[in-house]
Amino acid sequence: MADTAAASGKAPLLKVEDLRKHFPIRQGFFGRVVAQVRAVDGVTFDVYPGETMAVVGESGCGKTTAGRCLVRAFEPTGGSIVYRNRNGQEVALDSLDNKELKPVRRELRMIFQDPFSSLNPRMTVMDIIGDPLKVHRIASGSELEDRVADMLLRVGLRPEYMRRYPHAFSGGQRQRIGIAKALILSPQLVVADEAVSALDVSVQAQILNLLQDLQAEFNLTYVFIAHDLSVVEYIANRVSVMYVGKLVEKAATDELYHNPKHPYTEALLSAVPRPDPRERSQRIVLEGDVPDPAHPPSGCYFHPRCRYAQDVCATETPELRPIGEGHEVACHLAEDLDLRGITDLVPRD
Amino acid sequence: MSDNHRTDSDILLDIRGLKTYFHLDEGTVRAVDGVDFTVPRGTTIGIVGESGCGKSVTAFSILQLVERPGRIEEGSIVLNTGGQNRVDIAALEHDSEELRQIRGKDIAMIFQEPMTSLSMMYTVGFQMAEAIRLHMDVSKEEARDRAIEMLQAVGIPRPEQRFDAYPFELSGGMRQRVMIAMALSCDPMLLIADEPTTALDVTTQAQILELMQRLQEEFGMAIMLITHDLGVVAEMCSEVVVMYLGEVVEQADVDTIFHNPQHPYTQALLESIPRLGHSHEGRLNPILGSVPDPYHRPSGCPFHPRCTQVITGRCETVHPEISQLDPRHTVRCLLHEEPHG
Repeated sequence: MADTAAASGKAPLLKVEDLRKHFPIRQGFFGRVVAQVRAVDGVTFDVYPGETMAVVGESGCGKTTAGRCLVRAFEPTGGSIVYRNRNGQEVALDSLDNKELKPVRRELRMIFQDPFSSLNPRMTVMDIIGDPLKVHRIASGSELEDRVADMLLRVGLRPEYMRRYPHAFSGGQRQRIGIAKALILSPQLVVADEAVSALDVSVQAQILNLLQDLQAEFNLTYVFIAHDLSVVEYIANRVSVMYVGKLVEKAATDELYHNPKHPYTEALLSAVPRPDPRERSQRIVLEGDVPDPAHPPSGCYFHPRCRYAQDVCATETPELRPIGEGHEVACHLAEDLDLRGITDLVPRD
Repeated sequence: MSDNHRTDSDILLDIRGLKTYFHLDEGTVRAVDGVDFTVPRGTTIGIVGESGCGKSVTAFSILQLVERPGRIEEGSIVLNTGGQNRVDIAALEHDSEELRQIRGKDIAMIFQEPMTSLSMMYTVGFQMAEAIRLHMDVSKEEARDRAIEMLQAVGIPRPEQRFDAYPFELSGGMRQRVMIAMALSCDPMLLIADEPTTALDVTTQAQILELMQRLQEEFGMAIMLITHDLGVVAEMCSEVVVMYLGEVVEQADVDTIFHNPQHPYTQALLESIPRLGHSHEGRLNPILGSVPDPYHRPSGCPFHPRCTQVITGRCETVHPEISQLDPRHTVRCLLHEEPHG
């Protein structure tokens, strides 16, 4: 468990501070910038070695953009991302150019959501998985083949299949190929963006177990981006909740699920349908939709949908502040509210 | 409904021996292979199973919307619109006037991704009014009023303005509301909802589920909810049909399915899902392997290669019949079949 990792004083693997990624909206003949979509707007968190840190939120909250900034698939607009590489050196990911990034890219890998569109249909499985080895000039020829075969075995696929094309595989098998491709360079940090969302429940369980086994085997650190809170509870050590480009709450998984301090977290938890008709929960149904990040509301971005909102919420933006052991929240009323965690919503047996 | 003795008139839709096959160059895919179940009036019935189990094809068959090379081979789909008014939908010509009257009027359908089922070339209101005028003898103005009233009923703010909006101007949740409004505008007796919330966020999903429950109370229609999400089933349905490779493997009331499942597939599905508050119980128990490819259907019981309770020597060869465990609980498994000597 990694609340322990944080407590044991280990140095973080990744330090993200005030990360911002704005996309300009251009209009008119000259492409004048008329507004900015603040997809990620001042996000700060640490990731410790060996832990799984989850980033959750609704679509459009900026979690995917944040994840892509971490592996520098996007260039951040501002803020800093400091990564400690395998040799223990600190590297400022935000300021490196492409050439300097190349060695770091071996250690930071990504797993994508859709196993159907993220694999090139014209490449064989061996080419897909072996490609990073070629790009980084690590292996070629029969050595490459051996390494691919070995990787296939570890993700639970038969090496005989490596000359086949992606279409010959089911969704779960394709996701295993995507995982093999991410892990072939023995990375330190893997950003998994909705890695199990597109899969059937039974296959989802297989992939979640596989991710955990591989984490133990290769000592991996995961940043797990997801919207399914029951999956996140199962795999994550710590959870960060995002809303319209900002973190609203951050805590160890157990603490967050049983003792949420932000009304948005409470609503998210209550909205998860329980697979038990005897536990038909009292849902807190949020009104309206996630606001447009180009025109966010004043004050606390959540106040128009918040059932506890007071006058101060419409005028002052709350900062993320610590309110307990490893628990941070951005809410003016955090101390005064008595919010319901999962055990209050459901009688525990 | 708590009664065990349902009379004939309580049954809205009665599906018997439905077989829908797809004839492809590589062979025949038996997408729906002998499905029986009934939909009682005014209740919500859930159809669950992994992708490829035939739940969507079953739904499309009910409206005869299966496209070539798919075809309904056998079976009956009897719709009882009240009194002695029974129609076998499977026997109607696919382009008959009678069938067109049933589609959208008696039985309406909503789909997973509303953007693909709404035309982006026309305003929301135009599309709604068109459907209303097709099935009801009303003027343009009356159709407009009816559409606005329905938009209001599904909780769309400022419905008069939204009437003239194009689908791309609305969010995912709003579009699904429009679809529901359109589906309910002709007051159907059955609403078929094919993964209606799968593409939505949990918070939006909660809104839509709540809306469907409220509208069911208001309009009294039956809902056939097709989903792979057992959480949604537990929250919404009173009866559940579990499908695997084109067959119904278990059918019971919702409490029995979740607390006393008898088919190994139902049990395995329930064990494989992560549950809130249960993460300390260790690893998840996935179902072995994956759904077999439709051209290589296993012999005997189609679930036997993935089953943990397989009876070696029997399940590979014998295709199980349906066993009636009690009046509302059926299961298709050799473990529950009476031994025949």
